[in-house]
Amino acid sequence: MKKVLLGFFCVLLAASGVWAQSQTVSGRVTSADEPEGIPGVSVSVKGTTVGTVTDLDGGYTVTIPENASVLVFSFVGFRTQEVPVGNRSEIDVVLEADVRILTEVVVTAQNIERNEKSLGYNVQSVKGDVISQRSEPNILNTLQGRVAGVNIGSSSGSPGASTNINIRGNTSFTGSNQPLLVVDGIIMSNDTDNTQNTLFGSQPANRLGDIAPEMIESINILKGPAASVLYGSRASSGALIITTKSGRGLQDKTEITVTSSFNVQDPINYAPLQNNYGQGTTNEYVSTTAASWGPRFGTPGFETVTNTQGQQVPYQVYPDHFDIFFNQGRLWQNGVTLASGNQDDNYIIGINTTNQEGIVPNTGFDRYNVQLGGNKKLNNGVLIGGNITYAKTKQRNGTAGNGGSAMGQITRIPRSYDFGGTQWQDELGAPIYYNPPSTHPFWSTENEIFDSNVDRAFGNFTVGYDFADWLNVTYRVTGDTYTDRRKQTLRIGAARNVQGQISEDMIFRSEVNGDLLITMRKDDLFNSGINANLLLGQNINQRDFQRINVTGDQLNIFGFDNVSNAAVFTNSFETRNRRRLIGHYAQLNLDYNDYLFLELSGRVDQSSTLPAGNNAYFYPSAAVSFVPTDWLDYQSSVLSQVKLKANVARVGRDATPYLLASLFGQAAYGNNLAQINFPLSIGGANIPGFFPQGRIGSLDLAPEFVDNFEVGMVLGLFDYRVELDVTLYNMVSTSQIFDVAISPSTGFDNRTTNIGRMVNRGIESTLRALVVDGNEFSWDATLNFTMIRNEVTEIAPGVENSTIPGNSFLGIAPSIAVGHPYGVVISTAFPRNDNGDLLINPATGGFAPGVPGQVVSNPQPDFIAGLANTFRYKNFSLDVLLDAQVGGELYSFGQVDLRSQGHIDYTGVERHMPRILPGVIANGDGTYRPNNIQIPAQTYFAGLGGLASEGAVFDASVYRVREMALNYSLPATLLGNTPFGSASIGFSARNLLFFAPGFPADPEVNTQGAGNIQGMDLSGPPQVRNYGVNLRFTL
Amino acid sequence: MICGALVMGTACSDFLDINESPNLPTSVTPDVLLPAGLAGSAFANNNELNRFGSIITSVTAGANNSPATYDIYTIDGANFNNQWRFEIFNGSLITYKSMIEAAEEINSPTYAGIGKIMTAYTFSIATDYWGDIPYSQALLGDENTSPELDTQEQIYLGGDGVQSLFDLVREGIADLQAQSAVTPGQDDVVYGGNAESWIKAGNALILKFANTISRVAPDRARQEIESVLQNGNFIASNDENMSFSFGSSVGSRSPIYEYTYVTAFSNDMMISTRFKDLLEGKNDPRLPLYVTRPTGEYVTIDNGFRGSLPTPTSSWSRFSSYVVGENGEGPVRFLTNAQIQFILAESALLLGTPGDPEEHFQNGVRASMALAGVSSANIDAYFENNADEVSLNGSEEENWEKIMTQKYIANYGNGVEQWNDYRRTGFPVLEDHQNAVGIDGTRPVRAQYINEEIARNTNFEVILPTEPVWWDID
Repeated sequence: MKKVLLGFFCVLLAASGVWAQSQTVSGRVTSADEPEGIPGVSVSVKGTTVGTVTDLDGGYTVTIPENASVLVFSFVGFRTQEVPVGNRSEIDVVLEADVRILTEVVVTAQNIERNEKSLGYNVQSVKGDVISQRSEPNILNTLQGRVAGVNIGSSSGSPGASTNINIRGNTSFTGSNQPLLVVDGIIMSNDTDNTQNTLFGSQPANRLGDIAPEMIESINILKGPAASVLYGSRASSGALIITTKSGRGLQDKTEITVTSSFNVQDPINYAPLQNNYGQGTTNEYVSTTAASWGPRFGTPGFETVTNTQGQQVPYQVYPDHFDIFFNQGRLWQNGVTLASGNQDDNYIIGINTTNQEGIVPNTGFDRYNVQLGGNKKLNNGVLIGGNITYAKTKQRNGTAGNGGSAMGQITRIPRSYDFGGTQWQDELGAPIYYNPPSTHPFWSTENEIFDSNVDRAFGNFTVGYDFADWLNVTYRVTGDTYTDRRKQTLRIGAARNVQGQISEDMIFRSEVNGDLLITMRKDDLFNSGINANLLLGQNINQRDFQRINVTGDQLNIFGFDNVSNAAVFTNSFETRNRRRLIGHYAQLNLDYNDYLFLELSGRVDQSSTLPAGNNAYFYPSAAVSFVPTDWLDYQSSVLSQVKLKANVARVGRDATPYLLASLFGQAAYGNNLAQINFPLSIGGANIPGFFPQGRIGSLDLAPEFVDNFEVGMVLGLFDYRVELDVTLYNMVSTSQIFDVAISPSTGFDNRTTNIGRMVNRGIESTLRALVVDGNEFSWDATLNFTMIRNEVTEIAPGVENSTIPGNSFLGIAPSIAVGHPYGVVISTAFPRNDNGDLLINPATGGFAPGVPGQVVSNPQPDFIAGLANTFRYKNFSLDVLLDAQVGGELYSFGQVDLRSQGHIDYTGVERHMPRILPGVIANGDGTYRPNNIQIPAQTYFAGLGGLASEGAVFDASVYRVREMALNYSLPATLLGNTPFGSASIGFSARNLLFFAPGFPADPEVNTQGAGNIQGMDLSGPPQVRNYGVNLRFTL
Repeated sequence: MICGALVMGTACSDFLDINESPNLPTSVTPDVLLPAGLAGSAFANNNELNRFGSIITSVTAGANNSPATYDIYTIDGANFNNQWRFEIFNGSLITYKSMIEAAEEINSPTYAGIGKIMTAYTFSIATDYWGDIPYSQALLGDENTSPELDTQEQIYLGGDGVQSLFDLVREGIADLQAQSAVTPGQDDVVYGGNAESWIKAGNALILKFANTISRVAPDRARQEIESVLQNGNFIASNDENMSFSFGSSVGSRSPIYEYTYVTAFSNDMMISTRFKDLLEGKNDPRLPLYVTRPTGEYVTIDNGFRGSLPTPTSSWSRFSSYVVGENGEGPVRFLTNAQIQFILAESALLLGTPGDPEEHFQNGVRASMALAGVSSANIDAYFENNADEVSLNGSEEENWEKIMTQKYIANYGNGVEQWNDYRRTGFPVLEDHQNAVGIDGTRPVRAQYINEEIARNTNFEVILPTEPVWWDID
């Protein structure tokens, strides 16, 4: 391979002419604060790829090609200096501290490090130290509130529960709207593999959860198509570029880092309940009802009652069933890292563990990571590098969802039901409950179990060579593969499968990428002052997915959790997907005198999922950055720097596999009322059955496109102590690959086609301020602001709305709807008159019959803001992260249960008093009178809305103290005589306080997990508050 | 890899040519389509449409969830969407269409014949519930994504380029009489591949269709019935009943078994006190064979009852094994000998078709009792001791009521036919349910078009459940 490439490039080399004579320069880099020398400063020869970093004493030696003349010294936190070499062989440099963000180096697409000043698009960087040791094992959650333009929501406090992330909103009707995940150049799956029916299954983890936060050096978030265009189709929802720790910056030192933390988790703020009324309806005791509309406690004749099992039991309040049910969760995280080396030769070995016991009984999450990586510059100049990580993740979860699950029942416990003291299982394991076939939550957590067991390996291998000081060729192979062995056990008696079911799943996913990257650099192109970089790349990609499922129904022996215990296997199946993509891309960067920057990119993708012969598509982008203050050499104490940026970009996206043909599938009928699956077993014979799938394929499918236009400005103020970055964008998604719902009487339910249009307009803004900058005390604060206005402007001719694929209940459909934001819930609305007043049915005093098919809930917030503060005092540092979601709605089953069943506190207040629903009654002549019809409390609270109605919608606005972390670093003087290089102890807490004015619990929940359906609380686990202590030291 | 790096061009089209699904076939043979279609028709008859039909005709009473709502006459466009979509149009009907096409390809008209008879049967369920429906323009996929509706009159009588259900059945019978390269075996869950049985079922179906239109189009009905009677080749014994037997294991069992005994919704419904009283009043020996008594007593509620439900739920009287099978087998009875005899009795009485009304009526009662498991000695004893119940000794109206009441009892477990007959004739006389709401407090007389059709096909408009269908003339 190398020979081939060498041969190929010799022509180019010949053209480039001269092998230059070289000159050696050495010296020391210092600063006012660090006169003893700054280690790790990048020293590069301008216009070449030649460079080095300073050693522990700030010393360096670099060999300069003859045609180069300028050395560039750069280091985070200091202003970059350019020094002409002249004839000198020794150059000492004093760097000036710089709080300018514009000089920050960020990692952009294809791991190219760029100066932020030159970017015409937005890349926001988050450092590893705010990710690790923050009482939070899921990396995505640690980013909440820290990045502008990004919306992150965790689905619950259940161990390993998935977290949804959207950058700049949803851009695809049905494709994944999660950003591409790139770890050390490895494109990695962040799939959730939602094999479970999310309406009554478990919450599997998103696979980014396989990575320990402690492994992370930095995360760079590429926002918008222009930033991520080099990744092609995959990154049309943006990208997360994660760089893991390495030995690169250790100056040939070897360091062992040990981290350890322990946290506890409390379920938070379940709604307060009433303690005056017990089980029953209409003031009568009813043993099988989930409602607490029974007689008031103390009513004569109701000292004891007969329960469903025929026993006489006391009729009194059992107030604490939530406390009895939920545990305090525990979370241990430990890690050891050994790293050594320098820029060119380095290695790292890291081991991290996470062990979590959840708040719901019999749930947990365990993660083990081993990472091995290194780089080496061979004597012949070839750079090789690679790393490999093995991750093992185990998750145990119960079932959630409406009705037949622990979480579905915990909101349906009558106030007089002795939750903790009642026997819930007989000697043979059969459930005992007040309302069979539902089961006691403890029976569910004990006997309805979901296990996921992931083994994952991912890694990369890179070979690169500088053929000339202006030409580098690198080939990179990356791979990511995992198997997730899942098992769901529903023992005999489970409400959802009364005869029991065991489901064994083997999920396999792998992705391999080969990337050829050719980078060229030419300074003073055509004119002095124009520097050019050209990147040519090729990407070959293959993705495989396989799922093998064996489902055994109709179990025989209670508690024997093996499929051999089953009698029926007709639900078993296999699914395989393979897709390939070949991409070619080019990027040209032009830099004019370091104040005007232009970037032109283009990519052609060929995808296996599109029709053969018509499977290639091209998309370009152009980005410009202009720094007028540098152009004019203007500086004042108020206005330090101005940068203007703009870009226009398009990204294409291919289809998922196998959408072209119409297909037949194994026949099945029914739903949770009754169900059959072919092959049928009838009279001893197995009878196969197939029928047409409900979808009509499309033989002329084309790619989807997202077009983006954005402008922005960065202002540096007050000697760079304040920086304001504001970006406005308009992003239009067109040609969506979508299964349009069609008239069922056609014999089909939908057809695949390219249709639709969706617009995202947004503002993202970051305000950073060094509020106090003293020697002993400092305070810096960053405010991130995100506002996205998404609107579906067109679906298909005659189609006003369509359900988003996924699990949803009849009559509660997360949808796209013309004129509305993505993901609105279509359900039954209360009727209103033209004035907006609710209409009352004069016959009943309840609301008039509901109007189905209405948009009742919008999960998208008006805006999100996060304020990250870091206070430092001597060796103490305190991080306080506040965030807010304003607007957005949550569709909640749990709260409707508590209200309509008379459990929540306010339903017990003056219950004997009649009530009047808010609304008006039609007089019949077009006028209305205020409602004056009195109805009993039970009718009133039931009338406020059941599960499938507007009454289940709540305001999800929430303001919270997202995170606090107090850290104390032991002073160097104390460590002098110890083997410790550094040591620190910290206390951290997540979700410490919150205020949700429109919802009686924490509204950041989504039963359906990461994915396109958001804002649904369909009886899932609650959120948690985490707090604990952590230790870190180095040897 | 090498392909991409070195040779862009033809080799890469192979590299990318991997988009054929390994998971699902693009074509299948008639033998796997037939059972899938039949099961869909069985679901259409036996699942939610049946739950509704049984409740609205006071055979069962709703206790919770949808059945409790049906019981007070409330249905709307949110009801029966699974039935319309996944059981009827996107289930059985499109499957029969694929099967007929696949059968023609392999020159096997037996499959096509069964497909046409079952297509006619399944369309009749849809039009009897919903009235006008897409029929001649239905099932065309993307050739016509907004099918227009044919009137129920056109569907039954044909004309204007629309093939009548009668002619569709006759076309199926003709196919069944032709030579077939491949014939069904155990994939024909109804008749095990016996073409002759299917021809009898086809003729019986013509009798049922004629009976359905007998009040709105009596001449056509008479003509259709007489032509079937002439060749005499129709279901004439219980052995020839057209029925679909499910299995006894999870995932193979009949829907009515699942929702009566198994799933989380199994406590939504029990037998109505009214139905129990009706049979008790007639000393009917079928009552204990039809209705369970877990405690030794019948535990039932009245229709529309809104008080505390009897506890425990395990004490409730429910559909017996006559309806649900010993372990969920069913069967689902599409057409029975008894049903045909009652049709012939009613036709002889009102249309003057050949045969003695009383003889057919008594044949019907005997056939039903025998099917329910009453011994022939006990049937004879019942006839002896309850002569008035089984004699057509009154006015024409009274005799008609007797026929329809016994047909209603015989159709126990088939709420679809019970509701159709009740709407058509007004018999048996059913009192209003307690707490009735509905639109105006009266029983629904049609199903409302599902919301999905209203949303997706502009040819549909909302017609409320109070509007009778074409054949329901009073």
